[in-house]
Amino acid sequence: MNSNTAERRLNVLVTGAAGGLAGTVVSRLAERYHLIGVDPRPLSRGKDFPGEFHVVDYTHRRMSEVFRSRKIDILLHLGRVPVSARVRSSERYQTNVLGTKNLLDLCRKYRVKRAVVLSTFHVYGAHPHNPGHLVEDDPLRASQNFPELRDAVEMDHLARMFLLQNSDTQVAILRPSNIVGPTIQNTISQLLRAEVCPTLLGYDPLLQFIHEADLSHAIELCIENKMVGVYNVSGEGVISYRKAIEFAGARSIPVPHFLVYGAMGALSRFRLSLPKHLVDFYRYSAVISDELFRKESGYRPRLSTQEALRSLRSIRAVVEPQHSSA
Amino acid sequence: MGLKNLLIEFGLTDLEKRRIDEAQPELNSAGFDDFGLDPQTLKAALAATRWIYTDYFRVKAHGLENLPAGRVLLISNHGGQIPIDGLLIGMSLLLEAKPARVVRGMIERWVPGVPFVSSFFARVGQTVGDVRNCKELLEKEQAVLVFPEGVRGSGKTIFKKYQLQRFGTGFIRLALETRTPIVPVAVVGCEEAYPSLLNFKPLAKLLGAPYVPVTPLFPFLGPIGALPLPTQVSISFGEAIYAEGDSDAPESDIEKQAELIKSKIQSMLDERVQERGRQWFRSRD
Repeated sequence: MNSNTAERRLNVLVTGAAGGLAGTVVSRLAERYHLIGVDPRPLSRGKDFPGEFHVVDYTHRRMSEVFRSRKIDILLHLGRVPVSARVRSSERYQTNVLGTKNLLDLCRKYRVKRAVVLSTFHVYGAHPHNPGHLVEDDPLRASQNFPELRDAVEMDHLARMFLLQNSDTQVAILRPSNIVGPTIQNTISQLLRAEVCPTLLGYDPLLQFIHEADLSHAIELCIENKMVGVYNVSGEGVISYRKAIEFAGARSIPVPHFLVYGAMGALSRFRLSLPKHLVDFYRYSAVISDELFRKESGYRPRLSTQEALRSLRSIRAVVEPQHSSA
Repeated sequence: MGLKNLLIEFGLTDLEKRRIDEAQPELNSAGFDDFGLDPQTLKAALAATRWIYTDYFRVKAHGLENLPAGRVLLISNHGGQIPIDGLLIGMSLLLEAKPARVVRGMIERWVPGVPFVSSFFARVGQTVGDVRNCKELLEKEQAVLVFPEGVRGSGKTIFKKYQLQRFGTGFIRLALETRTPIVPVAVVGCEEAYPSLLNFKPLAKLLGAPYVPVTPLFPFLGPIGALPLPTQVSISFGEAIYAEGDSDAPESDIEKQAELIKSKIQSMLDERVQERGRQWFRSRD
């Protein structure tokens, strides 16, 4: 890596730069690369980006200007907007599908050398017929059963098309399992940080978790080992949902699944788009195998599932008092 | 958690606990194997249900010494409406085989959709009967149980008992591909436990079930009629057989090999049935 510093430092464009995961990733890369962060959201107060930061929509023409005015060598597309009650599906489509399309077009036009696109294991969908371990070639069932996840599937698809059709750019698409960590604010992290977590009565599917530090390491490996392809990536191993709740330090409360679906359906009439698809992920297992990524990149998770889940709570206990005192 | 530990503490001897611990496949730090098996649940379940094996069905296992170490495909006849045969084979390998083995059953595709059953089955090592799962388990040197008759076997009426139905052939290809020895298994006793007189097809269709049995006691005696009869069960394990040839051979070649296994099991069944005669309910002796 020292040879890099002697030459020009490579320019890395990071999308979703205001998010928690990007923060962890860029802190690992800041020494060796020149970082350019973009995000439609501004940085949260008190947060610093180790490089330039621009508030910009990925479909906006100012996005092209970022590519035009600098030589972008590497794109880290971490800016997928997950399903949540706060974001409308049209907004997600705009960012995830149209945004990704524009970014990949710009990569093609400006001959970006490498790209890492962060997809999600959710694209496989939760289904009782899923094989014990999903591999990268498996069909993306989420598009069939989960309209809420169509944008995620389409984004993954766009990235794969780009990978196949463009030989100038080395593209790695990562499909991580449930991302957890002190700075992560996705649905599962928020769920497991609660005191009481609902479970579906009679169902206890297998889940997998990856700590943000391990995922950052995986992303770094993609850049440094010039990985090309689609890769599942996960933490140490499977764990049942109830055991995960126990490890995260919460209590579980079983609820009949039809009540949950019913409640979600009722709420959606009031234009509250709750992540209904997630309910199925707490009913059926969608377990991925990351053997391919481990073999080709040498990746090994450093944290156990228990450590990853504990980090949700222990850090929260540390962070919260700081907020209140500030 | 408390109940599980109590069951294990009082339901299993120290030797049994140790033997089952030694039978475990690789576990991750959270205590699960790759397919969601949880040894604590398995031990507790065994402690809670061993009376079914020892007292209710008074099972006699023969030929357990025929089980080779490492990967093995257990191919068995299937009967008796509900998979009691699978349960008893699994218990015999845990309680009586030396060393103890965890049987990985290949369950029907609709089971993971069923509440309670789905998560329990996963914890005790049962997985969906998907070729990929089966292959992966064999590559991890597990003992995989397959009923090649499927519902054709379990749903048949008492008039066809111990007559093997059409065998699926997938297990032969798997055995060839993974170089796995096949152990033929004959279970006698389970097929009388639920003496189905007819399959009530219209109701089965309505429920989306593969079959709905009508027995002298069920459904007319209500829930009591749903209890299996306490027949005496014997399980015979034959000598290991190695399939030969190419896993990609034409179906006719594969069928011949499947037929060979089927006739082996049929002769084992005939032998046991003849020896038993009409003493369906005899004691274990």
